[in-house]
Formats: sequence, C-alpha cells, structure tokens
Amino acid sequence: MTRYVMVADLRRCVGCQTCTAACKEGNATPPGVQWRRVLDIERGTYPDVQRVFLPVGCQHCDDPPCMEVCPTTATRQRADGIVTIDETLCIGCSYCIMACPYDARSLTGAAAYAFGNEPIVSEAQRGTRPAGLATKCDFCAARIDAGVARGLVPGRDPAASPLCVNACISGALSFGDRDDAEGPVARLLAENRWFRLHEEEGTGPGFYYLWDREAP
Amino acid sequence: MNAAARRSVPSFCYNCVAGPDLMRVGVEDGIAVRIEPDERAAAIHPGLGRVCVKAFGLIQKTYNPHRVLQPMKRTNPRKGRDEDPGFVAISWDEALDTIAQRLRDIRGRGLLDEAGLPRLAATFGHGGTPQSYMGTFPAFLSAWGAIDYSFGSGQGVKCVHSEHLYGEFWHRAFTVTADTVHTRYLISCGNNAEVSGGVCAVRRHADARLRGIRRVQVEPHLSPTGACSAEWVPIRPKTDAAFLLALVHVLLHEAARERLDLGFLRERTASPYLVGPDGYYLRETASGKPLIFDSLAGRAVAHDTPGALPTLEGAITVGEAVTHGPDGEVTPWRDVAARTAFAVMADSLKPYTPEWAGAICDIAPATIRRIGQDYLDHACIGETIVVDGETLPFRPVAVTLGKTVNNGWGAYECCWARTMLAVLVGALEVPGGTLGTTVRLNKPHENRLKSVVPGEDGFMAAHFNATRSGEWAARPTGRNAHRSLVPIVGNSPWAQALGPTHLAWMFATDAPKEWPEPPPPEMWFAFRTNPAISFWDTQRIVGTMGRIGFIVAFAYTMDETNHMADILLPDATDLESTQLIRVGGTKYIEQHWDHQGFALRAPAVAPRGEARDFTWIATELARRAGLIERYNAALNRGAAGAPLAGEGFDFSLATDVAHDTETIWDAVCKAASTALSGGGETHDLAWFREHGHHVVPFRREDWYLTPTMARLGLRYELPYQERLLRTGQELGRRLHEQGIHWWDEQLGEYMPIPVWHDVPARWERAVRAAGADPAAYPLWGITTKTMPYTTGNNAGIPLMAEVGRNLRGQGCVVVNATTAAALGIAEGDWVEVRSVTGTTRGRAALVQGCRPDTVVIPGQFEHWKTPVAKDLAWPSLNPLVPLSLALTDATGSGADVVRVALARCAPPAETLA
Repeated sequence: MTRYVMVADLRRCVGCQTCTAACKEGNATPPGVQWRRVLDIERGTYPDVQRVFLPVGCQHCDDPPCMEVCPTTATRQRADGIVTIDETLCIGCSYCIMACPYDARSLTGAAAYAFGNEPIVSEAQRGTRPAGLATKCDFCAARIDAGVARGLVPGRDPAASPLCVNACISGALSFGDRDDAEGPVARLLAENRWFRLHEEEGTGPGFYYLWDREAP
Repeated sequence: MNAAARRSVPSFCYNCVAGPDLMRVGVEDGIAVRIEPDERAAAIHPGLGRVCVKAFGLIQKTYNPHRVLQPMKRTNPRKGRDEDPGFVAISWDEALDTIAQRLRDIRGRGLLDEAGLPRLAATFGHGGTPQSYMGTFPAFLSAWGAIDYSFGSGQGVKCVHSEHLYGEFWHRAFTVTADTVHTRYLISCGNNAEVSGGVCAVRRHADARLRGIRRVQVEPHLSPTGACSAEWVPIRPKTDAAFLLALVHVLLHEAARERLDLGFLRERTASPYLVGPDGYYLRETASGKPLIFDSLAGRAVAHDTPGALPTLEGAITVGEAVTHGPDGEVTPWRDVAARTAFAVMADSLKPYTPEWAGAICDIAPATIRRIGQDYLDHACIGETIVVDGETLPFRPVAVTLGKTVNNGWGAYECCWARTMLAVLVGALEVPGGTLGTTVRLNKPHENRLKSVVPGEDGFMAAHFNATRSGEWAARPTGRNAHRSLVPIVGNSPWAQALGPTHLAWMFATDAPKEWPEPPPPEMWFAFRTNPAISFWDTQRIVGTMGRIGFIVAFAYTMDETNHMADILLPDATDLESTQLIRVGGTKYIEQHWDHQGFALRAPAVAPRGEARDFTWIATELARRAGLIERYNAALNRGAAGAPLAGEGFDFSLATDVAHDTETIWDAVCKAASTALSGGGETHDLAWFREHGHHVVPFRREDWYLTPTMARLGLRYELPYQERLLRTGQELGRRLHEQGIHWWDEQLGEYMPIPVWHDVPARWERAVRAAGADPAAYPLWGITTKTMPYTTGNNAGIPLMAEVGRNLRGQGCVVVNATTAAALGIAEGDWVEVRSVTGTTRGRAALVQGCRPDTVVIPGQFEHWKTPVAKDLAWPSLNPLVPLSLALTDATGSGADVVRVALARCAPPAETLA
C-alpha cells in the first residue's frame, strides 16, 4: 500500500513562510486563503521562552472528520491517504470546516484579488474558483498523479512533489510514502522523535512533526 | 493549454545581499504565473536551487497595477510631501532628451561645482544589489566620471557598517560569517541568520542544527534565529561590547595560556610585537621594522627574523629602538621597558570580568563565564582537517554579530572583541571558525584572496585615506566628507557610498562652518532606493531631498522618494529584463559555494507598458549625452560584469556606435564564459537563455584566508591597533588645525586596545541634549527584520503582507507582556511610541520573548505614497531615530536604537470608521 504523508522537521523550520507563498502562488488561492501556513508559537515566561514555527494545513487524516460530515460525498479519501474535495459535488455547506480540528479548510467567497476588485494579469490567467466551495491542501495531488504517471517518485522527484516541499528553504518539509520502508519519510520517522497534532482526536493525521523537545 | 504555451525560464533572485540565488519563472501564454525552484541548479547552489519568500512576490511585482509604465515629468515645481508633483506622461524621447540636455550642460560647465563637489549624484539601494538589475548603467556611470555617491539610503545606519570597515581591514571581511558547515559552537550577538541570511544560510544552519551545532543567541528579543538556537541570552541593548570583552577576559584570565592557540598568536598575529611607552611599536632603528623578542636569541629582533621564537609575555627591555608616531615623528629609545602587544591586551582586559559585564548587560555572570568556557572547550586547538587535499587547522567555534551590534557606538569594540575571540584560539579564517566572505573596499571584488598583498610591518596592505599634513583631504571631496573624516573607509569606488552617508543629508542643511557650504547636486539618479522611508528622521530627509536640483528616478511605482522627482523612468523589472551576473565563490553573508560562474536573468515576459530594459536606457542616455564612445569603452573594460577581451579572446564592441541590448549581452556572455573556462567554452546569450548558468568548480580552501596569509608570510593586524592610534592622532591634528572640534568624540574611538565606555548612556545623553528628561523615555526602541520584507522593495506587494502577518509582531509594536500590562496595554491595542525626534503608531503585539525594557518595531514602514504600503498603517522606528552627530561613531556609523516612551493611544480615524 501507499500512504502519502508530510513530515515537518521543527528543528529545521525557521518560519519564513516560503512554503506559504509557494502554495498560494502555485495553487492560485485568493487573498486570505492559505492551504499551507506556518504558525509562530511562543510558550513560557520571560526569560524562559520558546518560540516554535509549526507548518500546518490539511493533515490528510486516516479517519477524516471532514469526510464524515460531508453530505454530498464531495470530500473523499484516496487509497493513498490523500483527502480530496470534488468541487463539482461541494455545496459549500461548511460542515467540513466546522468538523476539521486543524482549521485547515476555507470556504471560497466572492472573487478577491491581491490589488483590489480587479484581477491582475497573472490572476486573470489562473482564473478563480466559484464562490461557495470548500478548499484545502490536497498535497498537490495533480502534480503527484502526473509525476507518478511519468514514473517519478513523490517526495524524491520535485515534479511529483508538493510545491511547499519543493520550495522549503530549510529542508524542514519532506513528503512521501510512509509505507515505503526504504523511503526518506519512513526513515525520518523511524530515526527521530515525532508527534502529530491533536492525536487525542483519533483522526490519525498524515502529517508528522519531528521534534526533540516537548510538543508545542 | 498546449505545452508550447508553457515555459520555464531560468533566472535569478538578487533582491538581497544574501543572494544571488537561482530560480525559474513559470510562464503560461506569455504571462508569468509562478516562481519555481531551479532543481537543475541543486547540485551547484548551496540553497539547492531554491529562493526565499521574497522571490515569490515577483509575479505580483510584475503585474502590480500601480506600476509606473511610461516616462513622466513633474509639472509642479514646488517639491514637498504635501505638494502634488503633477506628473504627466511624456515620451521616452522627451524624457531622455531632457535628461541628456542637462547632462551635456553639466559637462560643459565641468563635472565639479565651485565647492569641488560632483554636480551629478547617484544613489542605489540595498547593499549593491541594484547593480544586478541596472543592466549596463555602471558603464554609463563610468563614462560620466566624478559622481557623488554620498547621499545614502540607509548605508551606515542600516547596514553592518563597522563590520564592513574593520572586517575588511583585519581579514578582508566585508561581511563576516561562521564557517557554518563545520562550526560546532556559535555565539551570535544579534546576527539574524534565519531571517536575513538568505537561503544558503538558512539551509546551512538547519543542517548544522541537526548535526548538533550549539548556537547561543544573544539579543534583546527572541528573533526567529533565537527561536532556532540552543540558548537565548536576552542582553540589554547596546551592551554587547561589554559581553564580548568579558568573553575575551575569560579566555585571557580564566583559562590556562596553553589552552589558547599560541602558535597562531606568535606566527599569524602581531601579538609578539613590542609596544613602547608612548603606545607605538618599538622598531628596529635602521629598518623601521617592528621588533619582537626572540626567546631563543634572548634579544629583540625584527619581526620577520627567520628562526626567531617570539615571546608573547614577560618583562622585556630593549636596548635601542625607535617608535614611529604621527606625522612621521620618530622617537628614539634606549634601554626601554617594553610589553608585547599581547601583554598590553591582557592587561587592558583584566578588569572586564563576567561580574563586571553582568551588571552592564543584565546577564548572570555565570552565564557569561560558561559561554566563554564552552567556546574554549569547543575550539579543538591542535586539530586539523583536510580540505581540497590541504591539511588546515580545525577550529569549530565562531562569533557573529548582527545589525545594531556591529554599527554605531560600541561597534568597534564588538568587532575587535569578536575578531580577537577567533584569534585567541586560532579560529580566524580557518575551517570551522569565523570567516570573511567578500571584499568591496579592496579589489578584486570577485576574489578576496587576491586582494591580499604585503603591506607595512608584516601586515596586509591597507588603503586608508591620508591623514598626514599636506596629504589629508582638507576640503571634502564628497558631500559626506568620507575622505576627510573616515580614514579607514579609503577611497575605492565603493568607499564613498560606505562613508557616513547620513552626513550628506545632515550637512545639506547644517554644514560645518569650517568647510564650504556644500551646494546640492544639480542632478540625482535614484534607483531601487527610498531614503525618504529607509533612513533616520525621515521627515528631515524628505525636506532635504527637495533641495536637490533635478531628480531622475527609475520608478517602479510611485513612492516617497520619487514623489520628489522631476523625471520618472520606468525600467523593466526583474522578470522582464536581461543581465548576466557573477554567482558562486564566496559572496556576502553565507554565500559559500563549491562553484563559481555566471547566471543570466533573461526576460521571462515582455516588459509591461513602455517599461524599457535598463541596458537600453543606459545606452540611450550615453548616446544622447555624447558619451557613447566612453560608454562602449567602459563596457569593453568590463563594466557589465566581465571584460570583453582577454587572453585568447576578443568580443569587444565597436566604440563609435550604440549597440542594442542583445548585442551587448551576447558579447558579455561570450566573454564571461570564455574567461571562466580558460578558453574552453564560449557560450552566447542564446545558450545562457536556455541553460541559465555556467559554472566551474571553486576550491573550498579558498573559503579561508589564513592559508593565503601563511603563504605570503603575513600577520593579521591584531590585537594591537597601532595604525588606528596613529591615524586617529593625525586626524585629530588635521581637524584641530582647522578649528574643528565637533568630531572629537569620534577621535576617542581610535584606541589601540578597545576600552569600554558607557555605550548605552550615549542615547540617554542624546535625550538630555534634546532638552528632555531621560526618565520620560524609559524604554529602548529597536527594530528587526522579517524575511518577507527584509530588502527587496516588497512593501507594496500584497502577498508579502499576507504571509508576513503569520509572523508574530509583523506590522506591530512588539512589547513584553508584563511591561504592557503595567502600562494598561492589551494585545492589539493601538499604541504610540514616542522619542525626542518623532512618534509612530501601531497595534501592540504582546510577547514573552522580549526584554521588559525594550520594544521592537519590525521593518521599515510608515509609507505615505507607495501604493498598498501606505494603507498598511504599520509603524516604523525610522521617524523616531535622530540624525545625530553625537550618535555617529568614528566610522561614520549609527545604530537603529533610540530611547522611547510607550503609551496606549486612540485608533486612527479610519480604523474607528
């Protein structure tokens, strides 16, 4: 079996938001919608303070709460673990947005553009999504599928990997098949301490955080 | 869309000095739609062919609807922030002819005005990076002749100024870095590598963290770099010199001598040089060479005596010697007691205990002591490493400094102590240690090792401005008086722009009475620069700008500086224009490559509107101003980045005709690739457009300067600063001969061994000098960078604002939560930060990771003209910081720090609405 997962090495992440920008540009998300973003978290009391950068987005759960509540089956889970939204079926009811413990989904609204009411040339070229759709990270599924079709390996070959991973300048983000024991993602998980967000929810996130300290 | 409609165009991003980095531009149907990493460059680019968040703003930058897309001229002769310039569109012919006519008129009257100052001035923005976007404009500037580059856009106050000057003097280090790929213990005083170090630094440091590097971040607030460090030491602002001097003390006085690298100190430094009672080196009478005490012969001998084993410490008497004081004064000495430079240093540093520093820095003495000991424990003295087949010392400890630490008062002490921490353990310019990266005051820029030539006294040659009587520039030759006031900056092509550039703005309205009133320039070229925002006391800068005769601004959008312009010229931007630049080798910050070569930025898309390639603009200006032959000759000499003729090749351009942009860059591409490959490969413009870059291996040994110093038998000019002592005394005499005493405080910085003075008190005195009570300004105001906005002219790019807001404090006033509570300030409240110079307002961001006595204002904002940016309503430290001689150090440098008051305030009216 193949189970695609994301691994974020928090020891590497510097919070630069390059992944955020690459995702926004590559997926043409409108202003305010960030399928990938990096949280800037502080804990402790001066002078004993930690500041941690935490990349977040859809966790592509084993048991996605969003899918469970979707009344139209627009939200689905592929055999490789990627959770997708069929835009032709989505009715924008927002149940999934409410159900997601990770605040990973957005509902498209009226068309919005970087510089105001009119699209700039590049935005017009990319087009806009209709209002009333739930959107989120899909691990760049189209790139993965196109890459795999060409014999490429997701997580190893950039043309078959998510844009955020390709763009990450610190090497914090890794992607790949967790079930490929010889693959880089499986090795990272085998060789390092890790945690997942909201483990107590029982969602089985497909997003792992490498961290050598207490979970932020 | 068919595949033919999709293209991926190789390019580069050099929007900050931490580049250049290689990338690609995704184009669909002739429209740039995305920035992509250049995976094909991963094997040669230390950042794996990736670019940082800034580069992703280039798409919006290209299609920004607020761009200036046609030449414009001013119709309202009155200039000022509140004056509407009345810009109207004109043709390129009218714009260029108007400029050229003025240029010809100036040339007809002479390049210098009645005060001996250039009539033409030019200012370019961040760290020389505009040169990678201005095509062949450097050839135009070369063809012109004397130009005043002294009107800075932040240089001196916004750069790491003292580090530039002392770094290059001591170890050819215009910027300084750790050898991060080898370093195991790194003390970083405010160096914000994870934010402004570029993709190469971010990757290297991330790898180092996983390797186990221990980085101690010493800074008043917890930056992203602090967040990613093993330890955060929240130091009181502007006390880093005390901290670093205490670390030197720990090495000198709390560790056995044998734990230092005594061999390095004896052979590669001036530690054994003998110092006489008057503070100058004791020298051999006949040769004038500095003396050392040869422990084998039992007597003083010239420093370069073969076979001598120099003494580092001990009671020494010299039978006969001379000292060379200021102005060639020679003093003879007989049976004179001498101390080695090392001993002088050790004695001077004795009072600087961790307990002493702890009280100044607000750091536990035990912490300072532990850091000093840890540094020493990690130094691996005696160990070696093989690099490129050469066995080199391995010293995996380093110290780096950040902005505000390495500029302004106290920076000399910091730079000296930082360099001495490396010297004492032999970690200067060796694997694992503290390294320089590039040179700008010395030449050649592309290879700092070749800039090393033997000079006086066993040291590298240094190129100070003359201070001796009759040789000193008694009248300023530029409006910032860099040759008259700052000897160490020299007078190379980069020197003036690195001089005290705020003095040009200050003297424009408040000139020293001892010197001729400096007339404003008759014409000023401005490109990728916005001093109306990016300087101190920005209100005053704007007022001064209005006095400049005729301003030609290469304009991307309207902004606060080109609001004052007479002509706006729309240049083709990053994705629209052509330029070949050098990449690799060792460049600024942490650009240490195993390759070197050239990369092309080719147009990914056609220029918008009537924007024109900068090379076309430069050529047309040269042609219309009657300079085409000189311009082409400059191109042939290499003004576009590579000489067009060399051994075995000649791609020179005919000098009597104007060449089109493609012809020029085709010749540059061929010449650069031919020279790079030693004649093995010649690649034309079409080849570079397809492949993007051409590189050859760069020896890793050449990352380090010490092997070159050893080959040439040279010593680092440390620890003792005899040259600076003499220079300061001579400069003082020259100034005093003219009755000038307003630089006396700065003269005090010419110390042979730095002595602590109460650095932070200078800012309190500045408050008092302004007629205010320091108690009314109880906090420190400082600034910090965030990656989306650090340089790059990104303030008007909405994508940067959106992703930047993910970072805590972006666009806010960052305040310690306890301090805020005491002032009744809650998260998100509007607050006013006030200094004796000005005020700024923004929302409060409450954090724990900030000293209670410090507020932090990220970035440089408060735009009032730049579209998008002016609507952000983000605060800025710049209006709060005074342009002040009293806060200018001897290098002409200031620091982004100011005493402030903080209070809640009403929201702006538009927010209430």
